[in-house]
Amino acid sequence: MNAVLYDVALTAYILAAAAAIGSLFGRRDQLAWVALLLTQAGWICHTAAVVARGLELGRLPFMTMPEVISLVIWAAVLLDFWIERRHRVRPLSAFVLPVVLALGLGLPTGLRSIALDTPVRSGWIMVHVALVLVGLAALVLNFGIALMYLVRERQLRHKRTGALHRRLPPLETLDRLAVGTLTIGFPFLTVGLALGVLSAPAAWGSLLTFDPLALFSLMMWVIYAATLLGRVMGQWGGRRAAYYAIAGFCVLLATLSAGVFLHGRHGS
Amino acid sequence: MTAGRILFVAGLNHRTAPVEVREQLALEEEKIREILGDLAGRGLLDEVMIISTCNRVEVYGVAAVPGEARTAAFGRLGSHRGLHWRDLEPLVYTVTGDEAALHAFRVAASLDSMILGEPQILGQVKDAFALAQSAGTVGPVLHALMSQAFGAAKRVRTETEIGRLAVSVSYAAVELARKIFDGLEGKAVLLVGAGEMSELAARHLVDNGALPLYVSNRTWSRAQELARGLGGTAVPFDQLAATLSLVDIVVTSTAAPEPIITVAQVRAALEKRRTRPLFFIDIAVPRNVEPAVNDVENAFCYDIDDLRSVVEANLKERQREALRAQTLLEGEVVKFAGRLQQLEVVPTIVSLREKLEAIRRAELERALGRLPGAGEETRRVMEALSQAIVNKMLHAPMVKLKDSSRAGHARRWTEMISELFGLRGSGRPDSQE
Repeated sequence: MNAVLYDVALTAYILAAAAAIGSLFGRRDQLAWVALLLTQAGWICHTAAVVARGLELGRLPFMTMPEVISLVIWAAVLLDFWIERRHRVRPLSAFVLPVVLALGLGLPTGLRSIALDTPVRSGWIMVHVALVLVGLAALVLNFGIALMYLVRERQLRHKRTGALHRRLPPLETLDRLAVGTLTIGFPFLTVGLALGVLSAPAAWGSLLTFDPLALFSLMMWVIYAATLLGRVMGQWGGRRAAYYAIAGFCVLLATLSAGVFLHGRHGS
Repeated sequence: MTAGRILFVAGLNHRTAPVEVREQLALEEEKIREILGDLAGRGLLDEVMIISTCNRVEVYGVAAVPGEARTAAFGRLGSHRGLHWRDLEPLVYTVTGDEAALHAFRVAASLDSMILGEPQILGQVKDAFALAQSAGTVGPVLHALMSQAFGAAKRVRTETEIGRLAVSVSYAAVELARKIFDGLEGKAVLLVGAGEMSELAARHLVDNGALPLYVSNRTWSRAQELARGLGGTAVPFDQLAATLSLVDIVVTSTAAPEPIITVAQVRAALEKRRTRPLFFIDIAVPRNVEPAVNDVENAFCYDIDDLRSVVEANLKERQREALRAQTLLEGEVVKFAGRLQQLEVVPTIVSLREKLEAIRRAELERALGRLPGAGEETRRVMEALSQAIVNKMLHAPMVKLKDSSRAGHARRWTEMISELFGLRGSGRPDSQE
């Protein structure tokens, strides 16, 4: 049941992404509304899928990597709703949904064929997962906003006058939102990762076991830490910060695929 | 129109008449009020209103013979400045019926304006309507026409983008600033040099919340004078480079033969601003800001040609939106035609009801007069009986009338019913007045 719901949700997200991208170039608002409705419908199905999975398995539905990615998507879409409403950056979903889809479709056929290994059920591990999850969701948004920033900047630089120029929100708003999502995401990521490192000895017996996911996570953390530091120092802003956000996100994607496809201690 | 009364619009505008003629016909409110009263008093028009702006003079009216009414109206309008109808005739267009309604809607929605989508015209039409109302020359038809025109104009404004995009260089600058900055409130502006367009741009920026405003000029006294006029602070010309780091938007329009703002200066200013963007609006020719400034990160520079191409793109967009607005207004004309037809059957329905009610009352009185001993019960039964008969008899003709008004041949039926029931003076709008 949860797999079917998950597929329905993904399908709705695919259609919503297409509508949202279309709305960027169109003259009418209707497509943007269609995109919003489809995303909402998808998100509701997604929520149902997560709940159904929890009920069917009789445990919290974020114990395996694919489950975590599914919840990252879920939280990212929720954050997208909030940012679009609060800051009126209407076509944000055109930049966020494709990323969400890349993550969602990367999962081996929904959540069906995933081997349900016995997860480590320590309380700290669950907090570790939950915190990292929120951090990652904020960074998905950070990436979408960085992409949008770069497009907006190019439009202004090249003095474009088309529909895209009229649709996109102001440059400064996007920069501010990029800072915002990073400052939300980074602390969650830091504390979450730190908890993971601290509870690794208890779960795996030793701290320095080779685990691809742990290594990639560290790399990702360093890039985001550097970006945030650069911003705080007032040196990296705007375009440069956007490039770093994109670099950080590429490593984030690598991290997640390492978690799903490579056999390490995080398993799948 | 009701019993041969025709809705018409006759007028001239910026496309049909030169300004020399338009300015002679543009009259002040009191004169128009006088003319309205005069025209209505002569009996040529049932209803009339006059729109008089610098771009158009139009008579909206309801008359049996629009041609005569038009000649009389323009003869009267022209007489103040000695213009004769035969001079005006080739400049005046006349439309009637649905076309007149469409014209009225187009005017109110600013589709007929010199600058498509400009917002003032709706206010001017509303004023003209209010003037005619106060002069007592508005009847049910013009009332229906104008209330629908105002609604239609509002729809055009909210459902299309016709009025949203800037179509002047100075507004285009504000629109661009809004694409860079997160709102203009509290953004500092530096105006360098004087010029109508640059001062207007600075004024628009300030009107949209930009603050403070610095003004610089090669001549110190001129800078002070400008600063006073715009409510800003004068800055010595040699401190221009230092001021760059304090402001967000720079508007330049000096007559300097060489650029006065260089890439090096901009880089230095941006260093102090950390990562906040800096926007240059260079209205001067030759340009005041080195073109390469636009390649500096976080700096954007639009020159006069860039701004003009923005305006051109916006105008094209307005024209595309105007096509959508036109379709929307055509739908409104259909609705208006329906309203008019209902307006047409209402007097007949009312007088038919009144006539039957009068008969019922009289007959009831007579019958009760012959039954002196009738109790309360009998009276009530007879009252109910008579009412039921009247209502049932009225039902079929009422349905027929309403249907016919929807189908568009109300006149035949109102005439027939008036004839059959001997209704006095029905089927004419003045029967209700």
